[in-house]
Amino acid sequence: MLKSTLTRRSVFAGATALALTLSAGQFPGGGLVAAETPKHGGMLTFATLGLDTADPHRHTGSIGVQQVYAEALTSIANDGSVKPWLAESFDVSEDGRTYTFTLRPDVVFHDGTPMTADAVKANFDRIKANVTKGWLASAMKQVDGFEAPDATTFVVRMQKPYAAFLNLISEAWILSPASPGWDDTITTPIGTGPFKFGTWTPKVELIAPKNEAYWQADLPYLDAVHFDLRDAVDENALALRAGDLHVARVPGDALPELRADDDIDVQFLKDTTWYFWSFNNRSPNPPFDNVKVREAVAYALDKTAYMNFIAGEDGIVTNQMAIPGNFYFDEALDAADVHVKPDLDKARAMLAEAGVNPAETTVKMVSWQEPYAEVAVQMVKKLGFNVEHTALDDLGTQKLLSEYQWDIAPMASGPRADIFLRFVRFMSDGPNPVLWGGVQDPELDAMITDAVTTVDDDTRRAKYLDAWKRIMDRYYTKVVGHASNAFGVRSDVKGFETGFTWSPNRVDGGLAHTWLDSGK
Amino acid sequence: MTSRFLMIAASALRALLLVLGITVLIFVLVRVVPGDVVDLLGIEGGLTEEAKQQMRQELGLDRSQAEQLLIWLGRVAQGELGLSIRFQRPVADLIVRALPTTLTLAFWSFVIGLTLAIGVAVAAVIWPRSPLPALVNAINVWSIAMPTFCAGILAILVFVLWLDWMPLLGNMVLPCVIIGIDVAGQIVKPLHEDLKETATAQFVRTAHAKGLGRAAIVWRHILPNSLSVVIALSGLVLTGLVGGTITMEVLFGLPGIGKLALDSVLGRDYPTIQAVAVLLAASVVAINAVTGIVARLLDPKLRT
Repeated sequence: MLKSTLTRRSVFAGATALALTLSAGQFPGGGLVAAETPKHGGMLTFATLGLDTADPHRHTGSIGVQQVYAEALTSIANDGSVKPWLAESFDVSEDGRTYTFTLRPDVVFHDGTPMTADAVKANFDRIKANVTKGWLASAMKQVDGFEAPDATTFVVRMQKPYAAFLNLISEAWILSPASPGWDDTITTPIGTGPFKFGTWTPKVELIAPKNEAYWQADLPYLDAVHFDLRDAVDENALALRAGDLHVARVPGDALPELRADDDIDVQFLKDTTWYFWSFNNRSPNPPFDNVKVREAVAYALDKTAYMNFIAGEDGIVTNQMAIPGNFYFDEALDAADVHVKPDLDKARAMLAEAGVNPAETTVKMVSWQEPYAEVAVQMVKKLGFNVEHTALDDLGTQKLLSEYQWDIAPMASGPRADIFLRFVRFMSDGPNPVLWGGVQDPELDAMITDAVTTVDDDTRRAKYLDAWKRIMDRYYTKVVGHASNAFGVRSDVKGFETGFTWSPNRVDGGLAHTWLDSGK
Repeated sequence: MTSRFLMIAASALRALLLVLGITVLIFVLVRVVPGDVVDLLGIEGGLTEEAKQQMRQELGLDRSQAEQLLIWLGRVAQGELGLSIRFQRPVADLIVRALPTTLTLAFWSFVIGLTLAIGVAVAAVIWPRSPLPALVNAINVWSIAMPTFCAGILAILVFVLWLDWMPLLGNMVLPCVIIGIDVAGQIVKPLHEDLKETATAQFVRTAHAKGLGRAAIVWRHILPNSLSVVIALSGLVLTGLVGGTITMEVLFGLPGIGKLALDSVLGRDYPTIQAVAVLLAASVVAINAVTGIVARLLDPKLRT
């Protein structure tokens, strides 16, 4: 049996987290405020991602709120490692097919009923039977069965090893089966979190009052959290400066003004959003069906300028889906990046060799209405191509991308609980593959499947890297770099630290540990 | 009696057809915009193509537009606005929660605008050699040249961030004042011109000859004769306010109907978009009807 101990992966990820945290002027775990005595009371206003549904099992979109009222057996810690949470511990059998969770005996749901193994099993049964869409669906397909041999033991048997399982179930929220709407769509989730579901007005707010019977002693400190769900990220910076919000997701271009404000600290999510240019892989138009032409376009890409435009000094240039310090990042591969600097002469020579006259070629580019897309357009134009650029809102872009009548798409994708959730986008039947050009490559599918079913960490890492090299060699997608999502935090907010993902409540931090200096 | 009844019935039928026409138009237009709610859920939610197709089937989005329209109209005829397909909440609940914010914003903006317009226009007629006529022009030009969102941002910078007099989120004072000035700008100039023209009428000269004071003449004799201008313009202004509060709602974090409409369009939440469209169309028709009736009551010339 493999115990849940500190792995090399968590050590590496932890080093990155430490560096990022220190650069943001904070000590991990709220070291700066450790000497202060937390005050109880007050309502924190927190503007973050939206909330799409009251049924956490059915979530298919934003996941930045539900963690405060619904918790899971595992949690993604600040350093990116997976830790037991509602489970006191977990064991994984040596063949990687059996997961045994020992549940905390003292956890009660918001309705006062105990969280037993039977309740946990009922949640996993519901997810497997009813939730056939979303991130958990792929994991649940691998499950042979669930068992609850006693009140504090929950067992999952898999058909084959599935390395992403523990990370993925950090989003398998455990709710009381008495939650209203359990048989169809839950309307009022009864969870175990430090705050209760409270009052939800879609796209406006969620008022989450304190759970007085929270299983972690003396937590939470706050009386309530007022989630601002307007998703008005551009206006958040103003509201933060006006003192109307305590903590808010803020856009990159607001950082200079926020950093200049003595009353506001800036923090970043520990995991990053990665930026990339995808080629149409599902039905590529000539000449972009030629890998040499794709390579030539990649030589036009000025990664440093691009990332500087997006994130200024906070941007990270790389050629991988993970950043330096992450277990899955490969330094040698990064050092060998031939596209680290643009080389327009080489690009033009390659195009000539491929028989492509850019002046007679129109490149169809599709993007969101993001300013960086225009930078991509200008870089492609430098080679002499005619560019037909269509920039639409989220849904319009999604629709256009799925029709595969385009050549290049400069896109981005946010933090994930496991590296597999980035690789799965390149699989032939992967979820929402359009941002990556809808790759159809059975050999790559097999490589990714092989990696995710490998138990040993180092062997799995090597397999993922092989899969990544294949993606790079075929220029399915060209990574430009990474940048972290920023939060502004007012100075009277203490003990708050951003996590690895968007989760505001985690095993080692979040809103349960946050308090207001004013106490109100 | 019969002819009056027929006239009212014809007006009601016209209004109903107008609302229906607008509804059908909105129904078709929102579906012309690329992408649907399933695409939204699929963006970050890990939906495979198969899962998306299944979801479209469950939501009835795979049916023909005509079929979807008939189903929806059938439900509306029974008084059901349906569920928001994005949030799985009754659309009626979303509207009921949003309506008070918009009504409050529209009401106070209108009151401020009307008071300012009448006050300044009347004062400018009473004291024609003062700076007040210039103020009439200034308010008018401001409303034409200054978009409300620019005024909103300016007001936030000055009153919220620099002077720190009031909060940003949920602030009703600044939006009401900003829209109020905009409303005043649309009314004050035509009203001032009408007041000036009325001031040259013979009955006004008679009032002067009787020795009445300038203010009394304006209030008692000139203004009542110009009220029809105010009423006619108020109808236009109010119909604009029904959907025109959206920029203020977004800027000041006010959860009103405009914000609901915008979010619904961005999220392709068809049942909510359609319900809001019906509400807005019906409001415009109702406002036009009410202003028409009030105008008839106040102006005998319109009763024939």
